[in-house]
Amino acid sequence: MSNWFGQVLDRADSVNDWLSPKRQSSLALLKERQWPTRKTEDWKYTPLHALDTFESGLPAANEAAPSEFIADLAIAGLDSIDLIFVDGVLQSAAVLDELPEGLSIYSLPDLPEGKQSDVLGDFAAIKPERHLFGLINDVLATQGLVIEVAAGATILQPIRIVSAINNSTEAHTRLQVKLGESSSLAVIEQYVGNDACFNTGVAEYDVADNAQLEHYRFALQTSAAMVVGGSHFKLGNRSRLNSTVVGFGSQLSRVDVDVHHAGEYAEAKLNAIYLLDNNELFDLHSTIEHAVPHCITEENVRGIVADKARAVFNGRIHIHRDAQKTLAELNNRNLLMSNEAEVNTKPELEIYADDVRCAHGATVAEIDKSGLYYLQSRGISRAQAQVMLSFGFINELVDQMPNQILAEWLRPQLRERFANMDVK
Amino acid sequence: MLSIKNLHASVEDKTILKGLDLEIKPGEVHAIMGPNGAGKSTMGYVVSGREGYEVEEGAVTLNGVDLLELEAEERARAGLFLAFQYPVEIPGVSNLEFMKAAVDAQREADGEEPVSSKDFLKLAREACKQVHLPVDFLKRGVNEGFSGGEKKRNEIMQMLLLKPKVCILDESDSGLDIDALQVVAEGVNSQRSPDRSFIVVTHYQRLLDHIKPDFVHVLSDGKIVKSGDASLAQELEDQGYAWLKEQRAVGAAQEQSA
Repeated sequence: MSNWFGQVLDRADSVNDWLSPKRQSSLALLKERQWPTRKTEDWKYTPLHALDTFESGLPAANEAAPSEFIADLAIAGLDSIDLIFVDGVLQSAAVLDELPEGLSIYSLPDLPEGKQSDVLGDFAAIKPERHLFGLINDVLATQGLVIEVAAGATILQPIRIVSAINNSTEAHTRLQVKLGESSSLAVIEQYVGNDACFNTGVAEYDVADNAQLEHYRFALQTSAAMVVGGSHFKLGNRSRLNSTVVGFGSQLSRVDVDVHHAGEYAEAKLNAIYLLDNNELFDLHSTIEHAVPHCITEENVRGIVADKARAVFNGRIHIHRDAQKTLAELNNRNLLMSNEAEVNTKPELEIYADDVRCAHGATVAEIDKSGLYYLQSRGISRAQAQVMLSFGFINELVDQMPNQILAEWLRPQLRERFANMDVK
Repeated sequence: MLSIKNLHASVEDKTILKGLDLEIKPGEVHAIMGPNGAGKSTMGYVVSGREGYEVEEGAVTLNGVDLLELEAEERARAGLFLAFQYPVEIPGVSNLEFMKAAVDAQREADGEEPVSSKDFLKLAREACKQVHLPVDFLKRGVNEGFSGGEKKRNEIMQMLLLKPKVCILDESDSGLDIDALQVVAEGVNSQRSPDRSFIVVTHYQRLLDHIKPDFVHVLSDGKIVKSGDASLAQELEDQGYAWLKEQRAVGAAQEQSA
């Protein structure tokens, strides 16, 4: 067992609040868990040994982070409702007093008593039990947000939730998001901080019938940071999810995405991008459960891996017996920039219904020859054409982001990162 | 200006061009017609330097420069432009970024500084208008989701921006309605000048009603079998290519008897 994990179990007993009934059941599950090793399927290519020696540091005291630090986290030109956690602590709650009609946001510790039993019922109800760090977040996350959109409400401003590390070495934040029928919302989850730290972020999204959710998870931490957790969705009838995950990779960077198609005619479009360099690691595990008929999943995962970096992708689509007329596509394509770069990719399609259309594929992609010739035929050098096509391979998914202001913020960061990669 | 001499070329071990000769002087427009499989597109690919096309024999020079010794991008910088029959879609690379990279590469070859983004945007917008494409096509991925006609007009737009010395238009009329055909023809005609030459590869007389060629050649089985003035195109339109088969049958019979 890892040192740190032992400390987690010890600390968990002292967390005592209105969520305790759920925390206790997650703790009971954790105590039965074996600490993952290389033989644990879910963690086969993502070693956790850095946690063996990791010194647990409790979240910093509730004090305001420097204003310059907060200012640096802004996204130019984006009109969003910003909720910034630094070292796991919500920085300013003033924004909560001026929310648009139909939107309610509560800080988890300040949730009105009248709401507590509802949220307790929803807590850890969408996120599957199997996620180790999900359980750890269940037990330790005392900070977070409860976000509710009233039925029929369209919230035009995206909500941006940042979890940044400044002084602390550990943070655990939680989001419980509920979209009422026929409502619409955009949520940006952003994880920041490159120093050695351990940060878990878990978000659960309950998307009611006919509602629309636009979602982003930017795991842009690098270097020694360890950031894990996941975004977990339950989709009602005719609801729509459009999600984009972007990862830069670090000592440990893992995102678990779960989509549960619980209502018919729901549509999920999932895009993910990773751009890895040095010794970085990025691990995306996604599981799509098609439990009912007539739902659609389209998942495109693309990455560029340079130097000695490693990408891990596990994409499971599970089509239950009753989920007739499912349309599901899953694609993972990778560009490797060096001989030592590594991709461990595993698409899993499990189908128990007989009238479905499914496709999956995972490839180590090569630069498209006809594209290369086309660019060269216009005078562009072969080397430059290769760079343009490689970046275009990633940028195609950036172009598909519904929020183009976010795309314009993200693109130069990807471009800079890509420009600094060595081709070996 | 462009000189093709006794060009033999193959793709995947199949010889397609079997002794192609073509002399193009500055300012001339040459039409190349011929049946499917005659080698019309292969000629464009071989001259522009596409990978996989092997030159077995012959020479291609542009203003005395041996093109066959050059990489595809160097041929383009020397002033050669091929308007593709099937322009390639490149999602994730914007049309604007692509064309600026091409124009800057051309400028660098000519010893000039890269054009500023602002100036280039202005130039690109004008070119867009000239080929009747909405300016938001500059932001879209290269040819991504464009209709057949839009792709052909996008090719002409690149030609307008690059100002090449020799343009090979590979069936730039195929799949076009009459309006798009006129846009393509107007784009080409606006660029006709005493120091710029065109090779117009086409199946049909239609395009040549709009772009008047100085010479018309019939390409068959990898070589030019007949040349004439613009009236030859009309003749071909009326007669089709059946006569070629007969001629080849006669030729083969003569070879056998000899």
